[in-house]
Amino acid sequence: MKADQHTAEVCSGAEILLRSLVAEKVDVLFGYPGGAIMPVYDALYDYADRLNHILVRHEQGAIHAAQGYARASGRVGVALATSGPGATNLVTGLADALIDSTPVVCITGQVFAHLLGTDAFQEIDVVNTTIPVTKWNIQVTEAKDIAPAVAKAFYIARTGRPGPVLIDITKNAQNEKIEFSEYVPCTNIRTYRPKPELSLTQIKAAAELINQSNRPYILAGQGILLSGASDLLVAFSGKTGIPVACTLLGLSGFPVTHPNYAGFLGMHGNYAANININECDVLIAIGMRFDDRVTGNVNKFARQAKVIHIDIDKAEINKNIRADIAVHADAAEALTELMGLCETRNHRSWMESFARLNDVEQQRVSIHSFLREGELTMAEVIDELASQADPLTIITTDVGQHQMVTSRYYPYRTPRTLITSGGAGTMGFALPAAIGAKLGMPDRQVIAVIGDGGFQMTMQEMGVIMQYGIPVKVLVLNNSFLGMVRQWQQLFHDKRYSFTEMSNPDFVAIAGAYGIAAAKLERRENLKEAISALLNSSSSYFLEVRVGKEENVFPMIPAGAGVSDMLLEAPRTEYPESVNR
Amino acid sequence: MIKQDLFMHLSADNNFSVLNRIINILNRRRVRIRTLAAQEHPDDFRKGSVSMVIHTTTEMADKVKLQLEKLIEVDQVTYQVQPVSEPAEKEKIIYSL
Repeated sequence: MKADQHTAEVCSGAEILLRSLVAEKVDVLFGYPGGAIMPVYDALYDYADRLNHILVRHEQGAIHAAQGYARASGRVGVALATSGPGATNLVTGLADALIDSTPVVCITGQVFAHLLGTDAFQEIDVVNTTIPVTKWNIQVTEAKDIAPAVAKAFYIARTGRPGPVLIDITKNAQNEKIEFSEYVPCTNIRTYRPKPELSLTQIKAAAELINQSNRPYILAGQGILLSGASDLLVAFSGKTGIPVACTLLGLSGFPVTHPNYAGFLGMHGNYAANININECDVLIAIGMRFDDRVTGNVNKFARQAKVIHIDIDKAEINKNIRADIAVHADAAEALTELMGLCETRNHRSWMESFARLNDVEQQRVSIHSFLREGELTMAEVIDELASQADPLTIITTDVGQHQMVTSRYYPYRTPRTLITSGGAGTMGFALPAAIGAKLGMPDRQVIAVIGDGGFQMTMQEMGVIMQYGIPVKVLVLNNSFLGMVRQWQQLFHDKRYSFTEMSNPDFVAIAGAYGIAAAKLERRENLKEAISALLNSSSSYFLEVRVGKEENVFPMIPAGAGVSDMLLEAPRTEYPESVNR
Repeated sequence: MIKQDLFMHLSADNNFSVLNRIINILNRRRVRIRTLAAQEHPDDFRKGSVSMVIHTTTEMADKVKLQLEKLIEVDQVTYQVQPVSEPAEKEKIIYSL
C-alpha cells in the first residue's frame, strides 16, 4: 500500500497520521479537538474530502460512535481526542470495546515530550491509565514512529480477538517535519499470533463427542459474528439438528426464526434456553466466554454435560468453565471442519423439550406483558417495532430493562443487527453507537432503543444528529426510574427505592430544540401509528413512550443462583442467603 | 487447591510499559508477587525477560499464564512449582540477575 505520494516528501507528523489513516481505508473519524491534538486538527482541515470528521459533543460519544461504526460495518472505528480529560473521557468506551471485542483505534494528543512527567497542563499518563482497558497502546514521541504505530494499531485492533488500541502522540511529534514516502501496513508482529493453528485432533474429538450425543446444545457467542460464521452455524445446526441458543452479544448471529433457535441465554434470557443447559449431555460453546450473566453460579452450571469450548482467545478456555475438549480456533474455521465430520442427525424429542419450556414461559411470563390493559409495557412497544421494522434494521441499546426486553422480544434475523453494551453494561452507549452505526451502514435503518436514565447520560450527542443531519431514530422507553436497579431494590432490598426515581425533563422539547422531529406516546391505541411515524420518517426522529413505572423483567436468574433456579415471577417468600444482593 | 510458591518466567519484547501490563494482570487476579526481576537481553535491548516468584495455586497460575501470553509484547510464559526448600535459593538467583 502506497501513501498518497509515491516519492518522499516532507510532511508533519500530523499529516503522516492522516495519510496513514487514509491508507488504512478509514473514511470516518469521531473526535473532539483540544490543545494537544491541534496540529492533527489543523492537518485535517485539508483532508475533509477524504476523512469525514464528526464533531461529537463529548469524547465518550466519540468512542461509542466508533464502536457502533465498527460493530455495524465490521471495519475498524476511529476516535480522536486531546490530552488529559479528552483522553480520560475515552476510558469507559475503551473498557466497553475491550470486553465486547470491538476493533477501535483511538488517537490522543499528548503534551510536548519534554513536558512529560512534569504535571503540565492537561498532561495525564494516558498510556498507563489505559493499559487495563486496551488490547494494546503506545506513546509516540517522534514523527518517524507515527506511521508504524498506526500500522501496528490497526493490525492488532482487527486481528485475532478484536479490541481497542490507543495511540498517544506528543505534540512535538505531530509538529515535527520529516521525509515520508510510503505507508507500510503491518502484517506480522513477532510476539503476537492472532490466528491459532487449528488442531484437527481436537476437532475430531469434538466431532466424535457430538456424534455420540443425544442432547447436544450449542451456545453461540459474538465469535460467530466476528468470524462471519453465521451462515456456517445455520448450516451446521441444520445438518446436525442441534439447537442453538445465543448470548446477548451473539444475538443476530443465528436467526430467531430458524426452527433450531433455542433462545436467548442469560440472567433475563429465555426459560428453555437457560433451563436446558442443565439437561444437555454435550455443550458446544462457540465464540463465547461463559460470562457470569450466562452461567449464574458456575458450580450449578452444566455439571452433567461434556463441554466443548471453541474460542479464538486461548485465555477464555478454562477461565470460568472447564472444557472437556478445548478447540483454540476461529469459529468459522472450526465449524467448517466440524461440518465435514459431524453426522446428519435429528434430535426431535430434545427439541420438543425446548418447545414445552417455551410454552411455560409464554403462559407464565410473556402473557403478562401482552395483556393490553393498564400501562403500556416495554414488550408491547418492542413487539410493535418488530412487526413493522425490516429484518435489516440495526438496533442499538444501553443496559438495563429496555436492553433485556429488546433482546427478548425483538426478532434478530440478520447478522450484526444488534449493537448493545454487553460486558461493560454502559449506560449512554446506545445513542452515540447508533450514530456510528448509521455512518458505517448508511443504507440501513438504525434505531437507538434507550431508557430514560441512559438517554440522559449522552443525550448531548443529539447535537451531532442535528449538525450532520444523520437520520438516526431514537426510541426512549420512559418509566421515570432507573428500572433495573429499581427492580433489584424491589426484589432484593424490600422495595427500598433508594435514589432510583427520576424527575425527567420534557424530552420532546429537548429533541425539538435540536431540530429533531419528536413525539410522545402515552396511549396504547396510538402505538402502531407512533412506531410507523418513527420508522417512516426520512430524517431523524425521536419517540418517547411512557411505559409502566414498576414493570419488572422476567424470567430472572438471581445473582448467585444457578441457571436451573430461573424465576418466572417474583417469589412470594424471601430469597435464600445464597442469593447475592 | 493450595497456594504455593511458583517460579514464573516470561520472555517479551522490551517495550515501553510492558512491565506495567504484566503486573496489572497479576494484581487484577490478586496474585501475590514475592519477588520480581526484569532484565534486558544482554545482546539485544529490544528483548527482555521477567522472572518472578508468585504465591498462588497452579490453577490460577494456568489462567494467569494464558492472560499474560495474550499481551501483545509477551512471547512465552512458563512456570514451575518450586520445591519447599528452594524459594530462598531462587530468590538469591533472581536478586543476582
